[in-house]
Amino acid sequence: MTEYLFLIGCSLFIIGAIASLLVRPVKHALFIFIVMNVLALAINLIFSLKRLIELPSVNGLFPILSGYASLFRADGLALFFLLIITTVAIPTVISIYSYLQHYLHKVAPVRTFLFSFSLLLLSTQLLVFANHSILFLICWELMALTAYLGMLLDKEKEEVQKGSFIFFTTTHLATFFLYIFFFLLHNHFGSWFFNDFHLSSDAGTIFFLVCGFGFIGFGIKAGFMPLHFWLPWAHPIAPTALSAFLSGVIIKTGIYGIFRIIEFCSPLPVWMGLIILAVSVFSAIFGVWYALAQHDIKKLLAYHSIENIGIIGIGIGLGVLGISYSVQPLVWLGFGGALFHTFNHAIFKSLLFLGSGVICHNYQTRDIEKMGGIVHHSPWFVGLFLIGSIAISGIPPLNGFMSEFLIFKGFFNAAAALGKYYPLLMLLLAVGLALVGGLALVCFTKINSIMFLGTERSPLQSFKVSKTEYTALGMLAFLCILFGIFPQSVLGIISSVITSNHNEMAFHPYTMFTHWEFLTVIFVGVLLTIVCLIVWKKFNTRQRISQAWGCGYTSPTPRMQYTASSYADEINSIASHMLHIKKHVSVPKTIFPQTSRFISHTEDFSERQFVAPVYNYIVNKINSFELLSRTDIRFYITSMLIIAIIYSIIAIVWP
Amino acid sequence: MAVKILQGLLPFLLILGVSPLLVGLINKQKALLTGRKGAPIWQPYFELLRLSRKETIYAATASFISRLAPVVSFSAILIAGFMLPIGYIRPLLSFNGDIIVFAYLLGLARFFQIIGAMDIGSSFEGMGAAREATFAVFAEPIYFFTIGSLAFVSGYTSLYEVYLSIHLDNPSSLVFIIVSSISAFFLMVTECSRMPIDDPTTHLELTMIHEVMILDNSGIDLLLYQYSSYIKIMIYGIYEVLFFNPFSLHNQLLGFSLFAVILLLLSTVIAWVETMIARLKMKSIPQYLLFATAIGILNLLIYTFAR
Repeated sequence: MTEYLFLIGCSLFIIGAIASLLVRPVKHALFIFIVMNVLALAINLIFSLKRLIELPSVNGLFPILSGYASLFRADGLALFFLLIITTVAIPTVISIYSYLQHYLHKVAPVRTFLFSFSLLLLSTQLLVFANHSILFLICWELMALTAYLGMLLDKEKEEVQKGSFIFFTTTHLATFFLYIFFFLLHNHFGSWFFNDFHLSSDAGTIFFLVCGFGFIGFGIKAGFMPLHFWLPWAHPIAPTALSAFLSGVIIKTGIYGIFRIIEFCSPLPVWMGLIILAVSVFSAIFGVWYALAQHDIKKLLAYHSIENIGIIGIGIGLGVLGISYSVQPLVWLGFGGALFHTFNHAIFKSLLFLGSGVICHNYQTRDIEKMGGIVHHSPWFVGLFLIGSIAISGIPPLNGFMSEFLIFKGFFNAAAALGKYYPLLMLLLAVGLALVGGLALVCFTKINSIMFLGTERSPLQSFKVSKTEYTALGMLAFLCILFGIFPQSVLGIISSVITSNHNEMAFHPYTMFTHWEFLTVIFVGVLLTIVCLIVWKKFNTRQRISQAWGCGYTSPTPRMQYTASSYADEINSIASHMLHIKKHVSVPKTIFPQTSRFISHTEDFSERQFVAPVYNYIVNKINSFELLSRTDIRFYITSMLIIAIIYSIIAIVWP
Repeated sequence: MAVKILQGLLPFLLILGVSPLLVGLINKQKALLTGRKGAPIWQPYFELLRLSRKETIYAATASFISRLAPVVSFSAILIAGFMLPIGYIRPLLSFNGDIIVFAYLLGLARFFQIIGAMDIGSSFEGMGAAREATFAVFAEPIYFFTIGSLAFVSGYTSLYEVYLSIHLDNPSSLVFIIVSSISAFFLMVTECSRMPIDDPTTHLELTMIHEVMILDNSGIDLLLYQYSSYIKIMIYGIYEVLFFNPFSLHNQLLGFSLFAVILLLLSTVIAWVETMIARLKMKSIPQYLLFATAIGILNLLIYTFAR
């Protein structure tokens, strides 16, 4: 019965997409788009929740459509990702309403955006249910294409053209690896269906080839370092709702793929688990350190996505170790932490991206050095953004902490269960994760302080936050608080998801790992103390407002405040050689005042030392084939024929 | 049940009540060591009392963040105090993984302290906040290298159980404990802004970290900040106490007397260090912190392979 819910949901997306192209005027099309999509997402959310609650008893696999049972599969993992997608997409879609109000005069781009966003939502949801390799690849392509089309809302801008092009090419690079991945699997098993793929490491080379291509393909999408180079380009230029969706959901499809690889190729050898851990810790630490050096709010958040993907990867690595050594609690803690962090990251990153969109729109710039003092205009908005910031820094009592807590517990569990040199290794990983938390704290105190606090660095007449934006941000902030203070609400679901996807595992209730109610008690205790003290302060003190202490200087200007660069300078100077932070300082040489300037920027190591050389090499090589790119159409037809002949020969000769 | 709760509340009341006394003791001994008579050891209590009567002045540029920050930071540190075992009494909030929650609650306090300072928009506070943030990055790794490594070695993740598991039965664990306690002392110096990282007595803005962050706080807000800094010293003091459990006895009376003696000793050590050592240059502080991290790593390596 519930299967029909999903069908109804999916058809509503298509109605929304068509309506956004046809309905006139475009204002009504926007309205219908919002209603249809929110309705569809809500239906799918209910569907996934209902199925997830039934999960332990149903156990594993069941068809969505009885006739096409094999094409789709709604197992625990797919349902959990559907839950993530729908939960995050609802506020994102709501926020589109006020975002597009400023674009309504550009009818055609708005229609394209709405159309492609509807299809993007649909294809992402079908992607996680796909059980057939070709269907998966179609959804994967559709997702990439519609995201690309959505990015082109502001296509006159040069940075948009460049950023979206980088996204487009990189996503096809990922698809290329996935073609080979699925081709190898098909070649080995003679089937396109996911549930037929069970490769064990005895299979020899094919096992490592499949793992290699799969991890690279999905790793590019997820943004593990050093395959992350497209993220800092694509996120800043995308329209707000899309960059939220990109960071919250689309890069998570890479994580979904990695979970599928682990399912296909089981058990992965121990050294692969260790490599996943190493790459993830590297991504997490350097992702956040690069983020520290950014002044562009969206680029900064993009680097934070890399950091959080790293944290998710650490969880996955722990889970892989757990499978290899068959330590079931470790599997639970690792994969559970990874899944929970995937969900949490989707929530707080969407909150931060939607918030940054509001700020960028009011300021007409993404440079945080020009902002400041927003708190005096809109304290509620600042409060909501602050909730997201605390959550992403992994600080209790919000949700980011809870998933990191699971991963920390995983470290301790691995150290106790695996013995040997593992305590030392796990301690180093724990210290790495603690370092990431510390750096994230610096980064988010930086952006909150510079953007919101103090006085305005450039004049700001008004700071407008519409009701729809408040609704969207409020929903996400509420989830941050709920999952932080009452994590039991998700942990039960995660428990059954992991059990249903790993047949060898016994059911582990999440309550066996710690007394969760103590965490709730602590957080409620902190909140209660805060409330008591606030009340005490309200009734018990005389207050006065005066000028800030200026050491005798009575007329400070906004430009005398600490800037984002100066705030982060101390910590960045420690790693400046590794991060390639470039500073250009020109100060007057004489005693008379002259203009002086300071510019700092970073160069991404992966882009500088890895992507750019490879790209240049390929471009040079291709230029030597200039002969083929004549304007004459006959050359094209001939070369196409030649290629077709080569392909057919291969197809005939192939064993 | 009621007795257990009362027993659990006792250490907590101790933290709340005795922490100013610890600071008073340190200050008195510092004065004696430098040949002054010094303020009475009750002086911190008088100061808190005085602050509670003063009016609270807010900067014109301050927002709700400044009003909220001292409260959040105090509450987080206070609740973190609930997790510490004193005199072998099981703390009220003791569960698997409280080590992690404890470290991150202090992180919550730090987050709000920093944004509370930045809220003023003055470059004095900005300077202090930037320094605090930078040095805090090293604090958490040191925490995991000291207390965390004890947890990894013992296999427990609750502070209470970790400390019950400490035994000084063989030389390698003795060395391990002693070096860990030195590492923890480094951590305490950083986190509580004592010498040689920070000088709690100077009021020269350019040389300070913690003091400059609270430059624009007064009245109740200053009281909360001061009190939480006292509690923080106490918390790290208790850590040091817990490293030394030479008798492996879990007698509560003995526990309390040991607690008192070691805290007294610790205050002497702090006073002595602060008298003998000058403040480090700001530039060399990261090196100092990395040193503390490095001895943590070495220590664990030695312990793992000497076992």
